Amino acid sequence: MRVLISFIQRFFNLILFLGLEILCVIMIARTNNLQGNDIMNSANITVAYWYQKQSGVSNYFALRQVNDSLLSENARLRQELARMGEVDTLKDSAVVHPVVEIKDSVKLVQYAHYYYYKARVVNNSIGAASNFITINRGYKDGIAPNMALVSGTGVVGRVVNTSAHFATALSILNTKQRLSAKLKDGTTSFVYWEQASGPDEMLMKVVQPEIKIHKGDSILTTSYSTVFPADMLIGTVKQVYILKKDNSRILHIRPATNFRNIQYVYAIKNEFIEERRRLEDSTVKADNRQKK
Amino acid sequence: MIYYFKYVLQFFLLLLFQVLILNNVLLHWWSQPSGFPVFTPYIYPLFLLLLPFETPVWALLVIGFLAGCVVDSFMNTPGMHACSMVLIAYLRTNVLLALLPKHLKEYKQLSPSVKTMGWPPFITYASFLILIHHTVFFIIELWNLSNIGYLLLKILTSTLTTMMLIAVYLLLFSRRAPMQR
Repeated sequence: MRVLISFIQRFFNLILFLGLEILCVIMIARTNNLQGNDIMNSANITVAYWYQKQSGVSNYFALRQVNDSLLSENARLRQELARMGEVDTLKDSAVVHPVVEIKDSVKLVQYAHYYYYKARVVNNSIGAASNFITINRGYKDGIAPNMALVSGTGVVGRVVNTSAHFATALSILNTKQRLSAKLKDGTTSFVYWEQASGPDEMLMKVVQPEIKIHKGDSILTTSYSTVFPADMLIGTVKQVYILKKDNSRILHIRPATNFRNIQYVYAIKNEFIEERRRLEDSTVKADNRQKK
Repeated sequence: MIYYFKYVLQFFLLLLFQVLILNNVLLHWWSQPSGFPVFTPYIYPLFLLLLPFETPVWALLVIGFLAGCVVDSFMNTPGMHACSMVLIAYLRTNVLLALLPKHLKEYKQLSPSVKTMGWPPFITYASFLILIHHTVFFIIELWNLSNIGYLLLKILTSTLTTMMLIAVYLLLFSRRAPMQR
């Protein structure tokens, strides 16, 4: 016994050192899974307080740029508005896409590619692996498959089936399809959903470690998608988890749409989507032919 | 008491400088857009290096661990900073013993600094421990030895930058040592 005590006394520092190192290794290993460590996280109060202070200061210094960008955006919008007001005919406009011909001499110029149809949700599910939403508009009202469904606050789903007076849409809460998404700085990735996480949470993986992500950052749709218009809100970042394996991050996203009580939606028709799809398909086909 | 308060203050100063300023500065050693690692210098271990000579090893270990945990919670890297801090806390005494002529017990109320040790020994002491800290930290962070050139480059550039910052810090904050001339 005395030998043991004297041994501990002699090597106390070494034992303490090894003990602390083992503790550290356990902490590192525990965050390998998604759950993470609750205390050691920048979400805890003190740390969050300092980060809030910091962002307050940096926001203050960014005010000038924000102001400039708002001014330029205002200017652009005014310009566009002015153009909308006067241009109606071909001869005095810079026509890019003449869509609908009305008469021989007069062409209606459309700048908007998207038509919005109002619809009411008549059936909705949130618990299944693939959730569907039924709306009270069908092909007689102009609804077609692959049209996007959005609510007033964010993205909802994609129309997959139509009948005369109803249409069903696959909601973004499904385990089959991913949704192309981007952060506000333009980093593209995809948003996916897992049944276990419930209707209030979606996931997104960001690989680049140097991109700063904060709670509350918005996640938007991209123009890569043939369904959704670009820059529609998908959701906001609720939590960021780091995967130690490859230093990528899993973002937990709160969907902008509340799927529990969704009532009214818009179905969006893209005027040029057929043309785009045809072009992209023919490109792929030509490419395949070349390979053979 | 006021004597130890100085070190607490120093820790928070270095921590806030690290977290609020340095972590937002992504440095490129030269302006090549790709291929060269983006890196962050970690200056906060300096506070451990500046603790008094007579601090016992167990206290150094505990302080290093706690400080590492605080930094970890700021950077969302549980255990990684703590691990490397505990390691350099353990090695500190041995490095000092090797570099100094007298035993550490004989330096009463003094702490390692340029004034008490002189530039060359202090820089050797600091750069050795900082190098070990950065090596361990970046190895744990990347956890991947397949790209070893990248890892070494990152460790090296990061250590050099940290040493520069440490030199600047010492020049700014070191006063005349409180000993008789």
